[in-house]
Amino acid sequence: MRYMFADAPRATLTACYWAFLLYLLLPLTLMMAMSFKDANFIAFPIGEWTLDWYVKVMQDKQFLEACLYSIMIAAAATVSATVLGTWIAMLIVAEGIRGRVVIFALACLPAVVPGMISAISLRIFVSAIDMPTGTAAIILGHTVHAVPFVVVMALTRLRTMPGNLVDAARDLGADSVVAFFRVTLPYLGPALFGGMIFCVLLSIDDFVRTFFLGGYRPTLPMLIFAKVQGGMSPEINAMATLVLVVTAAVGLYAEFMTRRARTR
Amino acid sequence: MVSTNTTAGYPAGREASVPKYSTGIAKVVNSALYRYTLGAVVETRIGRIILLAGVPLIWLVMLHVGPIYQMLKISLTSHYPVLPGVESHFTLDNYAIFFRESLYFTPLIRSFIFATIATAATLVVVYPVAYYVAKIVRPEGRSKALLLLLVPFWAGELIRTFSVIMLLANRGAVNVLLREIGLIDRPIPMLYTSFSLGFGLVYLICLYMLLPLYSAIEKIPSPLLDAAADLGAGPFTRFRRIVLPLSRDGIVSGCSLVFLTCIGVFATPMLLGGPNTVLFPETISGFFHGASDKWPVGAAFALIMLVTALITAAIFMRLVGGKKRSAF
Repeated sequence: MRYMFADAPRATLTACYWAFLLYLLLPLTLMMAMSFKDANFIAFPIGEWTLDWYVKVMQDKQFLEACLYSIMIAAAATVSATVLGTWIAMLIVAEGIRGRVVIFALACLPAVVPGMISAISLRIFVSAIDMPTGTAAIILGHTVHAVPFVVVMALTRLRTMPGNLVDAARDLGADSVVAFFRVTLPYLGPALFGGMIFCVLLSIDDFVRTFFLGGYRPTLPMLIFAKVQGGMSPEINAMATLVLVVTAAVGLYAEFMTRRARTR
Repeated sequence: MVSTNTTAGYPAGREASVPKYSTGIAKVVNSALYRYTLGAVVETRIGRIILLAGVPLIWLVMLHVGPIYQMLKISLTSHYPVLPGVESHFTLDNYAIFFRESLYFTPLIRSFIFATIATAATLVVVYPVAYYVAKIVRPEGRSKALLLLLVPFWAGELIRTFSVIMLLANRGAVNVLLREIGLIDRPIPMLYTSFSLGFGLVYLICLYMLLPLYSAIEKIPSPLLDAAADLGAGPFTRFRRIVLPLSRDGIVSGCSLVFLTCIGVFATPMLLGGPNTVLFPETISGFFHGASDKWPVGAAFALIMLVTALITAAIFMRLVGGKKRSAF
Protein backbone atom coordinates (compact mmCIF):
# COMPACT_ATOMS: atom_id res chain seq x y z
CA MET A 1 0.00 0.00 0.00
CA ARG A 2 1.21 3.44 -0.88
CA TYR A 3 1.31 6.11 1.76
CA MET A 4 -0.84 9.12 1.14
CA PHE A 5 1.81 11.51 2.22
CA ALA A 6 5.53 11.44 1.97
CA ASP A 7 7.20 10.65 5.28
CA ALA A 8 7.79 14.18 6.53
CA PRO A 9 4.13 15.27 6.82
CA ARG A 10 3.30 11.87 8.23
CA ALA A 11 5.85 12.20 11.00
CA THR A 12 4.68 15.74 11.73
CA LEU A 13 1.09 14.59 12.07
CA THR A 14 2.09 11.74 14.35
CA ALA A 15 3.98 14.23 16.49
CA CYS A 16 0.90 16.48 16.52
CA TYR A 17 -1.25 13.64 17.82
CA TRP A 18 1.08 12.74 20.67
CA ALA A 19 1.70 16.38 21.55
CA PHE A 20 -2.05 16.95 21.68
CA LEU A 21 -2.54 13.89 23.87
CA LEU A 22 0.15 15.18 26.19
CA TYR A 23 -1.57 18.58 26.27
CA LEU A 24 -4.86 16.89 27.22
CA LEU A 25 -3.42 14.62 29.89
CA LEU A 26 -0.73 16.78 31.48
CA PRO A 27 -2.94 19.14 33.54
CA LEU A 28 -5.07 16.26 34.80
CA THR A 29 -1.99 14.23 35.71
CA LEU A 30 -0.54 17.19 37.60
CA MET A 31 -3.88 17.67 39.32
CA MET A 32 -3.89 14.02 40.43
CA ALA A 33 -0.27 14.09 41.54
CA MET A 34 -0.91 17.14 43.69
CA SER A 35 -3.52 15.24 45.68
CA PHE A 36 -0.67 13.26 47.27
CA LYS A 37 1.24 16.33 48.46
CA ASP A 38 1.99 16.39 52.17
CA ALA A 39 1.33 20.09 52.80
CA ASN A 40 -1.80 22.14 53.02
CA PHE A 41 -1.14 24.39 50.04
CA ILE A 42 -0.87 23.73 46.33
CA ALA A 43 2.61 24.25 44.90
CA PHE A 44 5.23 22.40 42.93
CA PRO A 45 7.50 20.55 43.54
CA ILE A 46 5.55 18.01 45.54
CA GLY A 47 8.32 16.83 47.86
CA GLU A 48 6.67 14.75 50.58
CA TRP A 49 3.91 12.34 49.54
CA THR A 50 0.92 11.29 51.62
CA LEU A 51 -2.50 9.65 51.43
CA ASP A 52 -3.90 11.83 54.22
CA TRP A 53 -6.02 13.97 51.87
CA TYR A 54 -7.92 10.91 50.71
CA VAL A 55 -8.60 9.84 54.27
CA LYS A 56 -9.81 13.33 55.00
CA VAL A 57 -12.06 13.46 51.93
CA MET A 58 -13.58 10.07 52.68
CA GLN A 59 -14.50 11.31 56.15
CA ASP A 60 -15.84 14.61 54.82
CA LYS A 61 -19.58 14.42 55.37
CA GLN A 62 -20.23 17.38 53.08
CA PHE A 63 -18.44 15.67 50.19
CA LEU A 64 -20.27 12.37 50.64
CA GLU A 65 -23.61 14.15 50.85
CA ALA A 66 -22.86 16.12 47.70
CA CYS A 67 -21.96 12.85 45.94
CA LEU A 68 -25.24 11.24 46.91
CA TYR A 69 -27.20 14.34 45.97
CA SER A 70 -25.51 14.54 42.55
CA ILE A 71 -26.15 10.85 41.90
CA MET A 72 -29.79 11.17 42.87
CA ILE A 73 -30.33 14.16 40.57
CA ALA A 74 -28.48 12.43 37.73
CA ALA A 75 -30.60 9.28 38.10
CA ALA A 76 -33.89 11.18 38.08
CA ALA A 77 -32.88 13.42 35.18
CA THR A 78 -31.56 10.46 33.18
CA VAL A 79 -34.72 8.40 33.54
CA SER A 80 -37.00 11.25 32.54
CA ALA A 81 -34.76 12.41 29.69
CA THR A 82 -34.55 8.87 28.30
CA VAL A 83 -38.32 8.36 28.36
CA LEU A 84 -39.03 11.76 26.80
CA GLY A 85 -36.21 11.57 24.27
CA THR A 86 -37.31 8.15 23.05
CA TRP A 87 -40.90 9.30 22.84
CA ILE A 88 -39.93 12.36 20.77
CA ALA A 89 -37.76 10.21 18.50
CA MET A 90 -40.70 7.82 17.95
CA LEU A 91 -42.85 10.79 16.97
CA ILE A 92 -40.23 12.04 14.53
CA VAL A 93 -39.89 8.70 12.72
CA ALA A 94 -43.63 7.90 12.74
CA GLU A 95 -45.18 7.51 9.30
CA GLY A 96 -47.18 10.38 7.89
CA ILE A 97 -45.92 13.07 10.23
CA ARG A 98 -45.97 16.58 8.84
CA GLY A 99 -43.49 19.11 10.18
CA ARG A 100 -40.84 16.50 11.04
CA VAL A 101 -38.06 19.05 10.54
CA VAL A 102 -39.77 21.52 12.88
CA ILE A 103 -40.19 18.90 15.61
CA PHE A 104 -36.56 17.85 15.20
CA ALA A 105 -35.39 21.47 15.40
CA LEU A 106 -37.47 22.06 18.54
CA ALA A 107 -36.08 18.88 20.09
CA CYS A 108 -32.52 20.06 19.46
CA LEU A 109 -33.10 23.63 20.65
CA PRO A 110 -31.72 23.18 24.23
CA ALA A 111 -28.48 21.77 22.82
CA VAL A 112 -27.92 24.84 20.63
CA VAL A 113 -28.73 27.51 23.21
CA PRO A 114 -25.51 28.44 25.08
CA GLY A 115 -25.40 27.02 28.61
CA MET A 116 -25.58 30.31 30.45
CA ILE A 117 -28.67 31.49 28.54
CA SER A 118 -30.34 28.13 28.98
CA ALA A 119 -29.76 28.40 32.73
CA ILE A 120 -31.15 31.94 32.92
CA SER A 121 -34.22 31.11 30.87
CA LEU A 122 -34.91 28.05 33.02
CA ARG A 123 -34.53 30.14 36.15
CA ILE A 124 -37.11 32.59 34.83
CA PHE A 125 -39.39 29.76 33.70
CA VAL A 126 -39.24 28.05 37.07
CA SER A 127 -40.23 31.25 38.84
CA ALA A 128 -42.95 31.96 36.25
CA ILE A 129 -44.66 28.66 37.08
CA ASP A 130 -44.15 29.25 40.81
CA MET A 131 -41.81 26.33 41.27
CA PRO A 132 -39.34 26.77 44.13
CA THR A 133 -35.65 26.48 43.29
CA GLY A 134 -34.05 23.31 44.59
CA THR A 135 -34.00 19.62 43.77
CA ALA A 136 -37.05 19.48 41.47
CA ALA A 137 -35.94 22.54 39.51
CA ILE A 138 -32.43 21.12 39.04
CA ILE A 139 -33.83 17.80 37.81
CA LEU A 140 -36.08 19.66 35.38
CA GLY A 141 -33.18 21.72 34.06
CA HIS A 142 -30.91 18.71 33.63
CA THR A 143 -33.69 16.82 31.85
CA VAL A 144 -34.22 19.65 29.36
CA HIS A 145 -30.47 19.73 28.76
CA ALA A 146 -30.21 15.96 28.17
CA VAL A 147 -33.28 15.31 25.99
CA PRO A 148 -31.72 16.46 22.66
CA PHE A 149 -28.84 14.00 23.06
CA VAL A 150 -31.20 11.08 23.69
CA VAL A 151 -33.32 12.10 20.68
CA VAL A 152 -30.30 12.17 18.37
CA MET A 153 -28.92 8.84 19.63
CA ALA A 154 -32.33 7.12 19.39
CA LEU A 155 -32.93 8.54 15.90
CA THR A 156 -29.57 7.30 14.65
CA ARG A 157 -30.45 3.80 15.81
CA LEU A 158 -34.06 3.93 14.56
CA ARG A 159 -32.89 4.79 11.03
CA THR A 160 -31.03 1.48 10.81
CA MET A 161 -34.05 -0.51 11.98
CA PRO A 162 -35.68 -2.69 9.33
CA GLY A 163 -39.23 -1.35 8.90
CA ASN A 164 -40.80 -4.76 8.49
CA LEU A 165 -39.99 -5.81 12.07
CA VAL A 166 -42.82 -3.73 13.49
CA ASP A 167 -45.13 -4.68 10.59
CA ALA A 168 -44.52 -8.34 11.36
CA ALA A 169 -45.38 -7.82 15.02
CA ARG A 170 -48.55 -6.00 14.03
CA ASP A 171 -49.56 -8.78 11.63
CA LEU A 172 -49.13 -11.23 14.46
CA GLY A 173 -51.67 -9.28 16.45
CA ALA A 174 -49.64 -6.94 18.65
CA ASP A 175 -51.15 -3.49 19.04
CA SER A 176 -48.89 -0.44 18.68
CA VAL A 177 -48.05 -0.28 22.38
CA VAL A 178 -47.09 -3.94 22.55
CA ALA A 179 -45.13 -3.67 19.30
CA PHE A 180 -43.19 -0.76 20.75
CA PHE A 181 -42.29 -2.51 23.99
CA ARG A 182 -41.57 -5.93 22.46
CA VAL A 183 -39.85 -4.94 19.20
CA THR A 184 -38.73 -1.32 18.95
CA LEU A 185 -37.54 -0.82 22.52
CA PRO A 186 -35.29 -3.93 22.60
CA TYR A 187 -33.85 -2.85 19.25
CA LEU A 188 -33.13 0.61 20.66
CA GLY A 189 -31.52 -0.91 23.76
CA PRO A 190 -27.81 -0.34 23.09
CA ALA A 191 -28.34 3.22 21.83
CA LEU A 192 -30.44 4.08 24.85
CA PHE A 193 -27.88 2.57 27.21
CA GLY A 194 -25.18 4.76 25.69
CA GLY A 195 -27.52 7.73 25.83
CA MET A 196 -28.32 7.12 29.49
CA ILE A 197 -24.67 6.98 30.52
CA PHE A 198 -24.12 10.19 28.58
CA CYS A 199 -27.04 11.82 30.42
CA VAL A 200 -25.62 10.76 33.80
CA LEU A 201 -22.22 12.28 33.00
CA LEU A 202 -23.88 15.41 31.60
CA SER A 203 -25.91 15.87 34.77
CA ILE A 204 -23.10 15.18 37.22
CA ASP A 205 -20.87 17.58 35.29
CA ASP A 206 -23.40 20.40 34.97
CA PHE A 207 -22.52 23.54 36.88
CA VAL A 208 -24.28 26.53 35.38
CA ARG A 209 -27.86 25.18 35.49
CA THR A 210 -27.39 23.88 39.02
CA PHE A 211 -25.90 27.23 40.03
CA PHE A 212 -29.02 29.10 38.98
CA LEU A 213 -31.66 26.51 39.81
CA GLY A 214 -30.24 25.08 43.01
CA GLY A 215 -30.96 25.80 46.61
CA TYR A 216 -28.49 25.63 49.46
CA ARG A 217 -27.68 21.94 49.09
CA PRO A 218 -24.52 21.73 46.98
CA THR A 219 -24.05 19.20 44.19
CA LEU A 220 -20.52 17.95 43.45
CA PRO A 221 -19.57 20.71 40.97
CA MET A 222 -21.02 23.36 43.27
CA LEU A 223 -18.98 22.03 46.19
CA ILE A 224 -15.78 21.93 44.16
CA PHE A 225 -16.45 25.44 42.80
CA ALA A 226 -17.01 26.81 46.30
CA LYS A 227 -13.81 25.16 47.55
CA VAL A 228 -11.70 26.44 44.64
CA GLN A 229 -12.98 29.98 45.20
CA GLY A 230 -12.59 29.74 48.94
CA GLY A 231 -8.87 28.93 48.97
CA MET A 232 -7.09 25.95 47.59
CA SER A 233 -5.62 22.94 49.32
CA PRO A 234 -4.72 19.47 48.02
CA GLU A 235 -8.01 18.32 49.52
CA ILE A 236 -9.77 19.59 46.36
CA ASN A 237 -7.30 17.60 44.29
CA ALA A 238 -8.14 14.42 46.17
CA MET A 239 -11.84 15.12 45.74
CA ALA A 240 -11.51 15.88 42.03
CA THR A 241 -9.31 12.81 41.51
CA LEU A 242 -11.90 10.54 43.09
CA VAL A 243 -14.68 12.04 40.94
CA LEU A 244 -12.52 11.84 37.83
CA VAL A 245 -11.61 8.19 38.36
CA VAL A 246 -15.24 7.18 38.90
CA THR A 247 -16.67 9.13 35.95
CA ALA A 248 -13.89 7.98 33.62
CA ALA A 249 -14.53 4.37 34.65
CA VAL A 250 -18.26 4.76 33.97
CA GLY A 251 -17.56 6.40 30.62
CA LEU A 252 -15.08 3.70 29.57
CA TYR A 253 -17.48 0.96 30.63
CA ALA A 254 -20.28 2.53 28.55
CA GLU A 255 -17.98 2.93 25.56
CA PHE A 256 -16.94 -0.71 25.87
CA MET A 257 -20.53 -1.96 26.18
CA THR A 258 -21.90 0.03 23.24
CA ARG A 259 -18.98 -1.04 21.11
CA ARG A 260 -19.58 -4.68 21.95
CA ALA A 261 -23.27 -4.29 21.13
CA ARG A 262 -22.41 -2.70 17.80
CA THR A 263 -20.05 -5.44 16.69
CA ARG A 264 -22.32 -8.27 17.77
CA MET B 1 -49.29 17.40 12.49
CA VAL B 2 -50.24 13.77 12.05
CA SER B 3 -52.00 13.22 8.78
CA THR B 4 -52.52 9.54 8.03
CA ASN B 5 -53.04 6.31 9.81
CA THR B 6 -49.74 4.79 10.80
CA THR B 7 -50.81 1.18 10.57
CA ALA B 8 -50.32 -0.97 7.53
CA GLY B 9 -51.91 -4.39 7.19
CA TYR B 10 -53.81 -4.07 10.41
CA PRO B 11 -56.12 -7.05 10.78
CA ALA B 12 -59.77 -6.14 10.63
CA GLY B 13 -62.22 -7.48 13.17
CA ARG B 14 -59.55 -7.90 15.75
CA GLU B 15 -62.05 -7.39 18.56
CA ALA B 16 -63.20 -10.96 18.17
CA SER B 17 -59.87 -12.65 18.77
CA VAL B 18 -57.73 -11.40 21.61
CA PRO B 19 -54.10 -12.21 20.74
CA LYS B 20 -52.44 -14.89 22.78
CA TYR B 21 -48.99 -14.26 24.16
CA SER B 22 -46.87 -16.97 25.55
CA THR B 23 -44.85 -14.70 27.84
CA GLY B 24 -45.48 -12.67 30.95
CA ILE B 25 -46.60 -9.68 28.93
CA ALA B 26 -49.82 -11.61 28.21
CA LYS B 27 -50.94 -11.03 31.77
CA VAL B 28 -50.63 -7.30 31.27
CA VAL B 29 -52.09 -7.14 27.76
CA ASN B 30 -55.00 -9.46 28.46
CA SER B 31 -55.90 -7.89 31.79
CA ALA B 32 -59.15 -5.97 31.90
CA LEU B 33 -57.31 -2.91 33.15
CA TYR B 34 -55.11 -2.77 30.05
CA ARG B 35 -57.86 -3.64 27.58
CA TYR B 36 -60.22 -0.96 28.79
CA THR B 37 -57.60 1.78 29.14
CA LEU B 38 -54.48 1.79 27.00
CA GLY B 39 -55.72 -1.08 24.83
CA ALA B 40 -58.89 0.81 24.02
CA VAL B 41 -56.96 3.99 23.29
CA VAL B 42 -54.74 2.38 20.67
CA GLU B 43 -57.76 0.77 18.97
CA THR B 44 -58.72 4.12 17.47
CA ARG B 45 -56.66 6.27 15.16
CA ILE B 46 -57.18 9.43 17.22
CA GLY B 47 -56.14 7.53 20.34
CA ARG B 48 -52.93 6.38 18.73
CA ILE B 49 -52.14 9.89 17.54
CA ILE B 50 -52.69 11.35 21.00
CA LEU B 51 -50.61 8.63 22.61
CA LEU B 52 -47.77 9.14 20.15
CA ALA B 53 -47.74 12.92 19.87
CA GLY B 54 -49.34 14.23 23.05
CA VAL B 55 -46.54 14.07 25.60
CA PRO B 56 -43.70 14.94 23.17
CA LEU B 57 -45.48 17.99 21.77
CA ILE B 58 -46.50 19.27 25.20
CA TRP B 59 -42.92 18.79 26.45
CA LEU B 60 -41.37 20.49 23.41
CA VAL B 61 -43.66 23.50 23.57
CA MET B 62 -43.65 23.84 27.35
CA LEU B 63 -40.01 23.21 28.17
CA HIS B 64 -37.99 23.70 25.02
CA VAL B 65 -39.76 26.86 23.85
CA GLY B 66 -41.40 27.95 27.12
CA PRO B 67 -38.29 29.20 28.96
CA ILE B 68 -37.13 31.28 25.99
CA TYR B 69 -40.63 32.70 25.61
CA GLN B 70 -40.84 33.59 29.31
CA MET B 71 -37.43 35.25 29.08
CA LEU B 72 -38.64 37.34 26.13
CA LYS B 73 -41.82 38.27 27.99
CA ILE B 74 -39.99 39.36 31.12
CA SER B 75 -37.39 41.30 29.17
CA LEU B 76 -40.21 43.54 27.92
CA THR B 77 -41.65 44.36 31.34
CA SER B 78 -40.48 47.04 33.76
CA HIS B 79 -40.63 45.03 37.00
CA TYR B 80 -40.14 41.38 37.81
CA PRO B 81 -40.80 39.67 40.18
CA VAL B 82 -43.79 41.98 40.59
CA LEU B 83 -43.98 43.41 44.10
CA PRO B 84 -47.23 44.55 45.68
CA GLY B 85 -47.92 48.20 45.02
CA VAL B 86 -45.70 48.36 41.94
CA GLU B 87 -47.24 48.55 38.50
CA SER B 88 -45.43 46.55 35.81
CA HIS B 89 -45.82 47.79 32.26
CA PHE B 90 -44.49 47.15 28.78
CA THR B 91 -41.13 48.77 28.04
CA LEU B 92 -38.12 48.54 25.76
CA ASP B 93 -35.92 50.25 28.33
CA ASN B 94 -34.13 47.05 29.35
CA TYR B 95 -32.67 46.78 25.87
CA ALA B 96 -31.81 50.46 25.73
CA ILE B 97 -29.67 50.16 28.89
CA PHE B 98 -27.33 47.87 27.03
CA PHE B 99 -26.55 50.40 24.33
CA ARG B 100 -26.32 53.29 26.75
CA GLU B 101 -23.54 51.97 28.98
CA SER B 102 -20.16 50.78 27.76
CA LEU B 103 -19.88 48.97 31.09
CA TYR B 104 -22.22 46.37 29.62
CA PHE B 105 -21.20 46.70 26.00
CA THR B 106 -17.54 45.85 26.59
CA PRO B 107 -18.07 42.41 28.17
CA LEU B 108 -20.19 41.28 25.23
CA ILE B 109 -17.56 42.38 22.73
CA ARG B 110 -14.94 40.67 24.89
CA SER B 111 -17.04 37.50 25.00
CA PHE B 112 -17.22 37.47 21.21
CA ILE B 113 -13.50 38.11 20.80
CA PHE B 114 -12.61 35.33 23.24
CA ALA B 115 -15.03 32.89 21.64
CA THR B 116 -13.77 33.68 18.14
CA ILE B 117 -10.09 33.35 19.07
CA ALA B 118 -10.74 30.16 21.04
CA THR B 119 -12.67 28.69 18.09
CA ALA B 120 -9.92 29.55 15.61
CA ALA B 121 -7.21 28.22 17.93
CA THR B 122 -9.13 25.00 18.53
CA LEU B 123 -9.59 24.48 14.79
CA VAL B 124 -5.88 24.93 14.11
CA VAL B 125 -4.82 22.69 17.00
CA VAL B 126 -7.36 19.92 16.47
CA TYR B 127 -7.39 19.67 12.66
CA PRO B 128 -4.05 17.85 12.29
CA VAL B 129 -5.00 15.51 15.13
CA ALA B 130 -8.36 14.68 13.56
CA TYR B 131 -6.64 14.14 10.22
CA TYR B 132 -4.07 11.86 11.79
CA VAL B 133 -6.68 9.68 13.48
CA ALA B 134 -9.00 9.57 10.46
CA LYS B 135 -6.48 9.00 7.68
CA ILE B 136 -3.10 7.89 8.96
CA VAL B 137 -3.98 5.50 11.76
CA ARG B 138 -4.97 2.10 10.39
CA PRO B 139 -8.74 1.42 10.60
CA GLU B 140 -8.34 -1.18 13.39
CA GLY B 141 -6.50 1.29 15.58
CA ARG B 142 -8.76 4.26 14.99
CA SER B 143 -11.25 3.77 17.78
CA LYS B 144 -8.41 3.21 20.25
CA ALA B 145 -6.62 6.35 19.12
CA LEU B 146 -9.86 8.28 19.44
CA LEU B 147 -10.73 6.80 22.81
CA LEU B 148 -7.38 7.91 24.23
CA LEU B 149 -8.29 11.48 23.30
CA LEU B 150 -11.75 11.19 24.85
CA VAL B 151 -10.64 10.01 28.29
CA PRO B 152 -9.89 13.52 29.65
CA PHE B 153 -13.36 14.69 28.70
CA TRP B 154 -15.03 12.48 31.23
CA ALA B 155 -13.47 14.69 33.86
CA GLY B 156 -16.10 17.39 33.54
CA GLU B 157 -15.96 21.15 33.13
CA LEU B 158 -14.93 22.18 36.63
CA ILE B 159 -12.27 19.56 37.19
CA ARG B 160 -10.64 20.36 33.85
CA THR B 161 -10.72 24.06 34.64
CA PHE B 162 -9.21 23.39 38.04
CA SER B 163 -6.46 21.27 36.53
CA VAL B 164 -5.40 24.18 34.31
CA ILE B 165 -4.66 26.09 37.52
CA MET B 166 -2.10 23.39 38.44
CA LEU B 167 -0.25 24.15 35.24
CA LEU B 168 -0.35 27.94 35.17
CA ALA B 169 -0.32 29.11 38.80
CA ASN B 170 2.59 31.13 40.16
CA ARG B 171 3.87 28.00 41.84
CA GLY B 172 2.40 25.80 39.15
CA ALA B 173 4.26 23.34 36.96
CA VAL B 174 5.26 25.71 34.16
CA ASN B 175 6.68 28.44 36.40
CA VAL B 176 8.51 26.00 38.65
CA LEU B 177 10.00 24.23 35.64
CA LEU B 178 11.14 27.49 34.06
CA ARG B 179 12.76 28.56 37.33
CA GLU B 180 14.48 25.22 37.76
CA ILE B 181 16.20 25.52 34.41
CA GLY B 182 17.08 29.11 35.20
CA LEU B 183 15.10 30.93 32.52
CA ILE B 184 13.29 33.18 34.98
CA ASP B 185 13.93 34.53 38.47
CA ARG B 186 10.41 35.25 39.52
CA PRO B 187 7.22 33.56 38.31
CA ILE B 188 5.46 34.89 35.23
CA PRO B 189 1.91 35.78 36.29
CA MET B 190 -0.13 33.66 33.92
CA LEU B 191 -3.19 32.85 35.97
CA TYR B 192 -6.15 35.27 36.05
CA THR B 193 -5.17 36.83 32.72
CA SER B 194 -6.51 36.66 29.19
CA PHE B 195 -3.91 34.01 28.47
CA SER B 196 -5.06 31.60 31.18
CA LEU B 197 -8.68 32.15 30.18
CA GLY B 198 -7.97 31.45 26.50
CA PHE B 199 -5.87 28.42 27.38
CA GLY B 200 -8.60 27.12 29.64
CA LEU B 201 -11.32 27.65 27.05
CA VAL B 202 -9.41 25.77 24.38
CA TYR B 203 -8.65 22.99 26.84
CA LEU B 204 -12.32 22.80 27.77
CA ILE B 205 -13.87 22.61 24.33
CA CYS B 206 -11.50 20.86 21.94
CA LEU B 207 -13.56 17.67 22.01
CA TYR B 208 -16.49 19.45 20.36
CA MET B 209 -14.17 20.23 17.47
CA LEU B 210 -12.52 16.82 17.32
CA LEU B 211 -15.56 14.65 16.72
CA PRO B 212 -17.19 16.60 13.83
CA LEU B 213 -13.81 17.05 12.11
CA TYR B 214 -12.95 13.39 12.54
CA SER B 215 -16.20 12.13 11.04
CA ALA B 216 -15.95 14.55 8.09
CA ILE B 217 -12.31 13.70 7.29
CA GLU B 218 -12.91 9.98 7.67
CA LYS B 219 -15.52 10.13 4.89
CA ILE B 220 -13.02 11.51 2.34
CA PRO B 221 -12.19 8.61 0.01
CA SER B 222 -8.47 7.81 0.19
CA PRO B 223 -8.22 6.91 -3.55
CA LEU B 224 -8.92 10.58 -4.30
CA LEU B 225 -5.75 11.52 -2.46
CA ASP B 226 -3.78 8.75 -4.16
CA ALA B 227 -5.03 9.89 -7.57
CA ALA B 228 -4.04 13.47 -6.84
CA ALA B 229 -0.61 12.31 -5.76
CA ASP B 230 -0.23 10.29 -8.99
CA LEU B 231 -1.08 13.39 -10.98
CA GLY B 232 1.75 15.20 -9.23
CA ALA B 233 0.02 17.17 -6.50
CA GLY B 234 2.20 17.76 -3.47
CA PRO B 235 0.98 17.39 0.12
CA PHE B 236 0.03 21.03 0.39
CA THR B 237 -1.93 21.09 -2.87
CA ARG B 238 -3.73 17.88 -1.91
CA PHE B 239 -4.67 19.41 1.41
CA ARG B 240 -5.88 22.66 -0.09
CA ARG B 241 -7.71 21.23 -3.10
CA ILE B 242 -9.15 17.99 -1.67
CA VAL B 243 -9.05 17.58 2.10
CA LEU B 244 -10.04 21.11 3.06
CA PRO B 245 -13.07 21.44 0.72
CA LEU B 246 -14.32 17.95 1.52
CA SER B 247 -14.07 18.42 5.28
CA ARG B 248 -16.02 21.68 5.13
CA ASP B 249 -19.08 20.17 6.81
CA GLY B 250 -17.00 19.12 9.78
CA ILE B 251 -15.34 22.52 10.03
CA VAL B 252 -18.68 24.29 9.95
CA SER B 253 -20.41 22.14 12.55
CA GLY B 254 -17.32 21.93 14.78
CA CYS B 255 -16.76 25.69 14.74
CA SER B 256 -20.42 26.53 15.38
CA LEU B 257 -20.59 24.07 18.25
CA VAL B 258 -17.38 25.37 19.82
CA PHE B 259 -18.38 28.99 19.34
CA LEU B 260 -21.81 28.58 20.91
CA THR B 261 -20.38 26.58 23.81
CA CYS B 262 -17.64 29.15 24.40
CA ILE B 263 -20.10 32.04 24.50
CA GLY B 264 -22.12 30.30 27.20
CA VAL B 265 -19.29 29.19 29.48
CA PHE B 266 -19.82 30.52 32.97
CA ALA B 267 -17.61 28.81 35.54
CA THR B 268 -14.30 28.86 33.63
CA PRO B 269 -14.00 32.67 33.30
CA MET B 270 -14.86 33.02 36.98
CA LEU B 271 -12.07 30.64 38.01
CA LEU B 272 -9.39 31.42 35.41
CA GLY B 273 -10.11 35.02 34.48
CA GLY B 274 -9.24 38.21 36.31
CA PRO B 275 -10.89 41.59 36.78
CA ASN B 276 -9.95 42.58 33.23
CA THR B 277 -11.51 39.56 31.63
CA VAL B 278 -15.10 39.78 32.82
CA LEU B 279 -17.21 38.08 30.17
CA PHE B 280 -20.84 38.67 29.38
CA PRO B 281 -22.29 35.67 31.24
CA GLU B 282 -20.84 37.03 34.47
CA THR B 283 -22.40 40.43 33.72
CA ILE B 284 -25.78 38.79 33.16
CA SER B 285 -25.44 36.70 36.29
CA GLY B 286 -25.08 39.92 38.31
CA PHE B 287 -28.67 40.83 37.47
CA PHE B 288 -29.96 37.60 38.99
CA HIS B 289 -27.76 37.28 42.04
CA GLY B 290 -26.64 39.88 44.47
CA ALA B 291 -28.25 42.89 46.05
CA SER B 292 -29.48 44.77 43.00
CA ASP B 293 -31.19 42.02 41.06
CA LYS B 294 -32.99 43.31 37.98
CA TRP B 295 -34.41 40.30 36.22
CA PRO B 296 -35.91 42.16 33.24
CA VAL B 297 -32.53 43.71 32.39
CA GLY B 298 -30.80 40.34 32.80
CA ALA B 299 -33.38 38.68 30.56
CA ALA B 300 -32.93 41.36 27.90
CA PHE B 301 -29.15 40.96 28.03
CA ALA B 302 -29.39 37.19 27.76
CA LEU B 303 -31.60 37.58 24.69
CA ILE B 304 -29.20 40.08 23.12
CA MET B 305 -26.41 37.56 23.62
CA LEU B 306 -28.47 34.62 22.31
CA VAL B 307 -29.54 36.47 19.16
CA THR B 308 -26.10 37.88 18.34
CA ALA B 309 -24.46 34.49 18.95
CA LEU B 310 -26.94 32.62 16.77
CA ILE B 311 -26.69 35.24 14.00
CA THR B 312 -22.90 35.02 14.08
CA ALA B 313 -23.05 31.23 13.86
CA ALA B 314 -25.61 31.42 11.03
CA ILE B 315 -23.51 33.91 9.03
CA PHE B 316 -20.48 31.69 9.51
CA MET B 317 -22.42 28.62 8.36
CA ARG B 318 -23.69 30.44 5.29
CA LEU B 319 -20.27 31.82 4.37
CA VAL B 320 -18.24 28.67 4.87
CA GLY B 321 -20.88 26.00 4.53
CA GLY B 322 -21.94 26.87 1.00
CA LYS B 323 -25.14 25.20 -0.05
CA LYS B 324 -27.89 24.72 2.48
CA ARG B 325 -28.87 21.27 3.65
CA SER B 326 -31.86 20.27 5.65
CA ALA B 327 -31.61 18.19 8.80
CA PHE B 328 -32.79 15.10 6.96
